[in-house]
Amino acid sequence: MNKEQIIEALKTIVQPYSEETSALAHIDENTDFINDLKINSANLVDIILDIEEKFNIEIDNDSMAKMLNVKATTEIIESKLAANAG
Amino acid sequence: MLGNDIVDLDLAKTQSNWRRKNYLDKIFTDEEQVLISSAKNPDGMVWLLWSMKESAYKIHNRKTGNRNFAPKILKCIIHSNIDGEVNIDGDTYFTKSNIQTPFVHTIASPVYNHLEEIKISIFEAPNHIFDYKSTKPSCVSHHGRYLALVY
Repeated sequence: MNKEQIIEALKTIVQPYSEETSALAHIDENTDFINDLKINSANLVDIILDIEEKFNIEIDNDSMAKMLNVKATTEIIESKLAANAG
Repeated sequence: MLGNDIVDLDLAKTQSNWRRKNYLDKIFTDEEQVLISSAKNPDGMVWLLWSMKESAYKIHNRKTGNRNFAPKILKCIIHSNIDGEVNIDGDTYFTKSNIQTPFVHTIASPVYNHLEEIKISIFEAPNHIFDYKSTKPSCVSHHGRYLALVY
């Protein structure tokens, strides 16, 4: 899965938790879950759990701490997928 | 520096399913999970602990300049129904909570005695005050129907 595919999958995951349709439509690496998508912090946990299920990876607490935007989240998913593949 | 956090309990009910597998484990320490499982009202305990963590985080985040999403390292201790403290990396924030049927509101301060001096304004939609920013609140919390300001 390349970066664009991961971002596309992320978009599907975060959609139910955001009402910011314009920011969702223009989601990219710089999109911040809280500042741009106005996602409630209690729902960030749902997003983490959805990511774990969708990508079949485990997000540890240190990784979760960084997952406030698309860029950091994509990087963490990429590295966990690579670790799984190895 | 002050912190505050309000949870609209009706919205929380529909917005978050904390009974989802692994959900609590991402947010709460083992001790906090015991408080939830042994509470008469587990929903109320989940959102009480959550509002304590959020109100303390809002101070800690401004103090350290670090943004992160690490609710589990904010460790809550509940002293009585409404008094508690949140510990993170050697810092302690004292909290006082107002638990009502439709909402939970928590205020936080690094100095226990300052809690008594905090002025609180809670507005319920559609009666939000127009330009609340001009009133220079020390901390703003917004969830569902509620807007909570502290000074």
